This record gives sequence, structure tokens and C-alpha cells, in this order.
Amino acid sequence: MDIRIEGLCATAGGRAILDGLDMEFSPGAVNVILGPNGAGKTTLLRLLGLLDRPGRGEIYYDGRKLSPMPPASRTRLRRRFGFVFQLPLLLAGSVEDNLRFGARLRNLSVSREIIGRVLDNTGLAGKAGQEARLLSGGEKQRLQLARVMVLDPDLYLLDEPTANLDPLSVKNIEAAISGLVRAGKTVILATHNLTQARLLAGKVVFLKEGRLVQAGSAAEVLSRPLSLDIAEFSAAENILPGVLARRDGRTVLECGALAIEVVSERTAGKAAAVIRPEDILVSSGPLVSSARNSFRGTVLAVADLGAVVALSVDCSGTVFTVFITRGSCSQMKLAAGTGVMLTFKATQVHLLPRE
Amino acid sequence: MSYILDGLRQGMALLLPPGREILQIVALSLAVSGAATVLASLAAIPAALLLALKEFRGKRLLVGLINTAMAVPAVLIGLLVYGLVSRRGPLGTLGLLFTPGAMIMAQALLAFPLITALALAALKGVAREARDLALSLGANRRQLAATVIRQGRFAFLTAIIAGFSRVIGETGMTLMVGGNIKGQTRVLTTAISLETMKGNFEIGIALGIVLLLAALAINFGLQWVQGK
Repeated sequence: MDIRIEGLCATAGGRAILDGLDMEFSPGAVNVILGPNGAGKTTLLRLLGLLDRPGRGEIYYDGRKLSPMPPASRTRLRRRFGFVFQLPLLLAGSVEDNLRFGARLRNLSVSREIIGRVLDNTGLAGKAGQEARLLSGGEKQRLQLARVMVLDPDLYLLDEPTANLDPLSVKNIEAAISGLVRAGKTVILATHNLTQARLLAGKVVFLKEGRLVQAGSAAEVLSRPLSLDIAEFSAAENILPGVLARRDGRTVLECGALAIEVVSERTAGKAAAVIRPEDILVSSGPLVSSARNSFRGTVLAVADLGAVVALSVDCSGTVFTVFITRGSCSQMKLAAGTGVMLTFKATQVHLLPRE
Repeated sequence: MSYILDGLRQGMALLLPPGREILQIVALSLAVSGAATVLASLAAIPAALLLALKEFRGKRLLVGLINTAMAVPAVLIGLLVYGLVSRRGPLGTLGLLFTPGAMIMAQALLAFPLITALALAALKGVAREARDLALSLGANRRQLAATVIRQGRFAFLTAIIAGFSRVIGETGMTLMVGGNIKGQTRVLTTAISLETMKGNFEIGIALGIVLLLAALAINFGLQWVQGK
């Protein structure tokens, strides 16, 4: 389903929750809405799902305007959506009662075969007769998803469907979502989970305080953010605030006692450098290389993250996080107090404007 | 103390078995208060649903007014109804004054804001969730109302019982518009008040026991229904 919004506004208690949002969602893909708490993710999903009415603005569904639609058309449209709430809303009754409720509202019946298949796809096989409200948190969330999958809607609106769930339930739900997209469904998913966004997203939109900050592919938005808000939200390891300056014909970011050489069109003003921890090279002494940045430092701490080892290295008061392999770590005999050199290219410094 | 115990003993004797007059009073009480509660609920339940589910201009003012109306003394409602149905009042030609009709009208007016406010307060907890659940799964407007009513049925029941308890125990207003006419408009509360003032303490006690039994029966009935 093709969805576009224009100048969408919503207020609650006199406060603007959505502040003139314009965006398009990709049909037949997972669209991930990211943003800190209070960004307006849930409000946006509820407006898209026709659960609430926008204060101002317009939503187009396959090119059709929402605002002039009479109630009967809205109901017909809503019946093409499947909404999954962040806190599971279940009917008192069995799992199967819940699965059949939407069909009953449409005066349809659901075959045993479909019920069985949907339960299989959501990891709930054999639970049809159980009391829905006695399921575990993860099962309730999967039941919510199963309940809308039975109706085979064109658009899935999922509000943090994996918040507070155990890793296995998260995996089950992510697998089910991938299956939906393979079947050509459009999914709009609000989440805080960056790994999930990278894993599933065909498109990422980042909201803050009811405004669109950036939209694009997961790689664009998360690895090359246009805003410090996104870098901070994604808990990027090395965010170094500083001031741009010209020095000996080079542009540098003065960051504490360090002058980090950067590639930038701006040559003055406040900025922040974001450097990915895997892009920094660790050596015991100075390296002869083309990399423009090389700083002497001391290892503060070594943390084994499983796949990699994370080093905290203090360079003249600025602390860097660096990822290296476990092999390199033991070969170089790195431990707290070891003196090292950190080296990275100017092109690996991602610069963001800062207020 | 022996005065009260004697009263209690004589009161019990009057009820075993109850005389025709007592049965008539009990029947009229239940009929008047029952009819008033039904009338009030027919208006109050849709009003509470509307207030719980719809956003509109002036809603907060309306809810404030209903909450205020709950605090209006019954005797003022009695005054209003008296003015309406007395011979010189706008509804005077109907000849309702000192009839069960006037009592039903006054008791319904008394119960309406109470039932509305209690149902609304209880609905707040379930209405939004029931609305979200029904709408998200494709309910139309009729199905939406039906789902919310089904999810909120205990809330309504509690509010209706509270309304009934309020009106069956009301005295002053019922006396004003009903007149406590023997065999016509005499109900439990007005009879207790009259007999006690006349010095017939044991009759007051007998009727008081009936009133208590009625309240107990209703509350246990409610608990039984909710337990199911």
C-alpha cells in the first residue's frame, strides 16, 4: 500500500506531538520509524491506522485523500490494516477467540487451516485453546501479530512489537515480519532497536519532537546521520564535540587538546566528529601511513564484547572507543595502562553540525 | 436498651408473616425506585458512552456539570419536580402531584447524574482499550459501541445498582412529591419516618429491616453476577 503524509499535525493537552510531518513510506517494504521517547512515533502510527484523527494535515492511501472520507469508507480502509499495540490488547477468551474476532467483525469465518498456519508462523503452535490473558508477555505480543495476520491485511502498523521481549520471541517476530514483506505487504514499524532497524528496514525515518530529522535507507540514516540527534540516539561510540579551524592549510576540528584533521567544506564554527570504533587502528608505536590523524594515548580499560574487544583509550583527555579483534588484543598484550597510538583517516571522520 | 430490643422483637413479629399493608409498601417501593432507575439508566448509559468515547467542544464543562449535579441535595430536586407537576406548574394538567408518577420522575432525576458519573469513571479504564481493540480489528460504529458496552458491562451494572440504592433510600424528596398517602404513595422510607414520628417504633424497625434486606439482596446479587 502506498502511503504519503502531508503537513500532519497532532496535539495532546495543548502540546504539539506531531509538527507538520511530510513523508512517504515505501510500499512492499519495512518502514522503520526511529526516534527517542516522545518523538511522536506512536501518535503517527495511530493516525496512520485511523485510530485517531489528525489535528491538521492530510494522509493519502494509494493516492486517496483521508479527510473527505465518510465513516463507512474509513471502516473499509481500516479493515485493510493490521495494528499491533505496544502493550498487548487482548480479548478475554481463548487464543482462538482472539484470532477469530476480526473475522467476526467482518462477518467472515476463518478456516482451521489458516488458524493453524498463522499459529505456526508466529511460534504459537498448539496454543489455540489457551486462555489469551494467561500467555507470557512474548506470547501475547505474538498473538497480537497472529490476530492481524489471520485477516491478511495490506498494511501492518507495528508499535514497538518487540519491546521488553526475550531474544527468542524477538527473533520469532522479526522472522514473521520478514515473511510479510516477502508476501508483498507494507510494514510500518516503530522501534528503538537499531539492530532490528538494520536487519529489517527498507526505509528508516527518524523523528524528533514531532519533526522529521532524516529519511533514507538504514545504512544512510544510521551510518551517515545528518544530525547529531541521530548519532546520539544510536549511541555512536565516538562523538567528539569541537570547533572547526584552519591550521597550516588544513581543516581541523579542535577537540580539547587534540586537533583532528577532517574533510569539510565548512572551515569554522561548532561541529561534532563521529568516528566508528572499527575504523581506528591501534599500534604500539608511530605508523608510517597516509592516515592524517595519529594520537598517542593510554589504554584505560579492555572489555570483551564477544565478537570484538572494546578498548577505551585516553588521548590527552579525549577518550576514544576502539574495536579490535581478540587476537590482536592478546598479541599486542593490551591491558589497562598500556601506551598505544591511535590512527585514522581524515575521510573516516564523519562531521555533523552542532548548535 | 430494652426499648430498642423490644422494638426489634415486635418488628420481627410484624414480618413473620408480613401483613398486607407492609407487602404493599415494599412492592410500591421496588416498583417506583425500579422504574426510576430504569428510566435514568436509559439516558445515563448512552450519555456515559458518549462522554467516554467522543471528543467534542464543551465536554469538560458537561462532565463538570454532571459531577456538580451529583452533589445537588435531593430536596432541591423535589422542589423542582413539585414546581413542575403542581396544579399551577407547566405539567400541572397531567395531575401527577402526589402520584407514583411524580415520585418516579424525581427519583429518576436524582439517579441520572449519579449513574452517568459512576459509569463514566468506570468506563475510563476500559473504554479506550476496548475502542482501540475493536477499531484496530475493523469494527464499524455499531460494532464499536457493542464491544465497549460488553467490555464495560460490570461498570454499568455497578453504577445502576448505586443509583437504585440511592433512590430507594431517599426520603424527603419522595415525601414532598409523593405525599406519603396510605395505599397510594407510601413507600418504605416515608413509612418508616411517619410511623416512627407517630411513636410506632416497632413498625419503623420492621420496615427498616425490609429496607436493609432489600439492599443486601441487591448487593449479593451483584457480586454473584460479577463472579460469573
